[in-house]
Amino acid sequence: MSMTTPIPIGTQVITERLGETMEEMYVNMGPQHPSTHGVLRLMLKLDGEVITDCIPYIGYLHRCHEKIGENRNYVQIIPYTDRLDYLASMAMNFGYVLSVERLMNQEVPPRAEYMRVILAELQRIASHLLWLGTFGLDLGNFTIFIYCFREREMVLDLFEAVSGQRLNYAFYRIGGMAMDFPDGWIEQCREFLTWFKPRIPEYDALVTDNILFQKRIRGIGVMDGPTAVNYGLSGPMLRASGINWDLRRNDPYSVYDRFEFNVPVFDTCDVWGRFLVRRQEMIESVKIIEQALEGLPSGDIQAKVPKTIKPAAGQAYVRTESPRGELGFYLVSDGTPKPYRYKVRSPAFCNLSALTEMMRGCLVADAVAILGSVDIVLGEIDR
Amino acid sequence: MTPEQFLEQLRTQFGAALTEAEAKGSVLLLTTTADQGYAVCKALHDLGFEYLNCLSGVDWTTHLEVVYDLSSLHHAAKVHLRVKVDRADPLVRSVSDLWKAANWHERECYDMFGVRFDGHPDHRRILLSEDWVGFPLRKDYTDERLVPYTDYGLEEKQAKTEAGKGAPKPTSAAPKPPAPPKPPAPAG
Repeated sequence: MSMTTPIPIGTQVITERLGETMEEMYVNMGPQHPSTHGVLRLMLKLDGEVITDCIPYIGYLHRCHEKIGENRNYVQIIPYTDRLDYLASMAMNFGYVLSVERLMNQEVPPRAEYMRVILAELQRIASHLLWLGTFGLDLGNFTIFIYCFREREMVLDLFEAVSGQRLNYAFYRIGGMAMDFPDGWIEQCREFLTWFKPRIPEYDALVTDNILFQKRIRGIGVMDGPTAVNYGLSGPMLRASGINWDLRRNDPYSVYDRFEFNVPVFDTCDVWGRFLVRRQEMIESVKIIEQALEGLPSGDIQAKVPKTIKPAAGQAYVRTESPRGELGFYLVSDGTPKPYRYKVRSPAFCNLSALTEMMRGCLVADAVAILGSVDIVLGEIDR
Repeated sequence: MTPEQFLEQLRTQFGAALTEAEAKGSVLLLTTTADQGYAVCKALHDLGFEYLNCLSGVDWTTHLEVVYDLSSLHHAAKVHLRVKVDRADPLVRSVSDLWKAANWHERECYDMFGVRFDGHPDHRRILLSEDWVGFPLRKDYTDERLVPYTDYGLEEKQAKTEAGKGAPKPTSAAPKPPAPPKPPAPAG
């Protein structure tokens, strides 16, 4: 098989040096592969060690989420949204209930708003911790995985105390929250934050300042700012490409405009930048939780909503910042108790669509690191 | 530019081709026809809406709709553009040359609604397998495995209680529902 497609620069150098045309071959990665974090299949087209093309195949986890949603009423959908991004269920609940509330112009009591922010930010920490742990695992650093899971376990304990569940909470309600924080929970949460803050320097000593780790991820998976915007990337992927954009600050929802926090932006445009953004975001989330716990108002946690939720005919596209990026819910109501159209704009779906662009010209050894930096969750990609 | 200024510019450019155009808060609600869809998208792209948030389809049983949600990183205005597409022969021009984000979204829209996108670089199904028959999110698509919606008689019950609240209680209540049949006495 001779080469017919144009060759990227990296390959040209190698072929010129060897003075011969090398054969291209396809390597199938997945759907069952420890580094694809679920069931994702990649077809890598290799020229020697250089990736010339990468074709992702998704859909192995498709469960007709949207079709099921159109056959359930607005309340019944909440537990289904948990299963979208099962590593950030609170964020999924948040986005969904917010979009229904926007559709029916429902007010939410201030205490519920604060609770939502606290839980969503704790979820962001848990999600980024899991990402950091598994990313270390992908790169062969097993120790960081254990450290991250230790802290993540504490967040899950907090969630379990609140909702009784460790992963799929279904805790947000249309117009409020299911329950108030249990007694002593706020102190428990504060204890966690005091424990967690000094852990970041610990991770730094283990990975961030580790020269092997840095050399492994610097300068690979490059995606410049304008291309990132064109591809519809969001969340840490966008901010690592030098675009200062965070929906919590740029298009504030809930009570995010009441808190002071920084939006970490790095313009290295590579896997290293994405790592730094997520590391910094955990620190910022701690800041938000501390402020929210400080200002947590007392009062109701659930507004009065009709027994059968029937929003007036209309439509709403509502976007929130999930740990992976812009999570959008597009709802069309026809005045009946179930949505006429229910569409989920999944952040990881859009981020993954740029994978080919990032992989092209990289070495096959970096493929796992680049894929890891996208932070995919197949549950929300395949829906 | 404010949403109203955007509207003004689009109205002068497209005139009657924009069948609906209004500003609701910071969102521009636009509707257009399938043959003008690409031109409107291009104009919006050139106006600075460089971020494609979402592209989805809606089946209105009489026609299909392709819905574009656009925004910008530089101004607060957002666009909600609906393009009406013929249901029997749904064909629109692909916008994946304007926004690369549209590539996978359009594949999904084809997968679920059967809308074909002219000029798409990789026109395949994305979530379902290649040999799948039918387009699942169309309203007439059924599958025996899909559990249909039921409210377990809640609406009927509520209507009854509301009617009961309004009108004075009828003295002679409706005949009682027949008692459930008694289980047969155990033998022996």
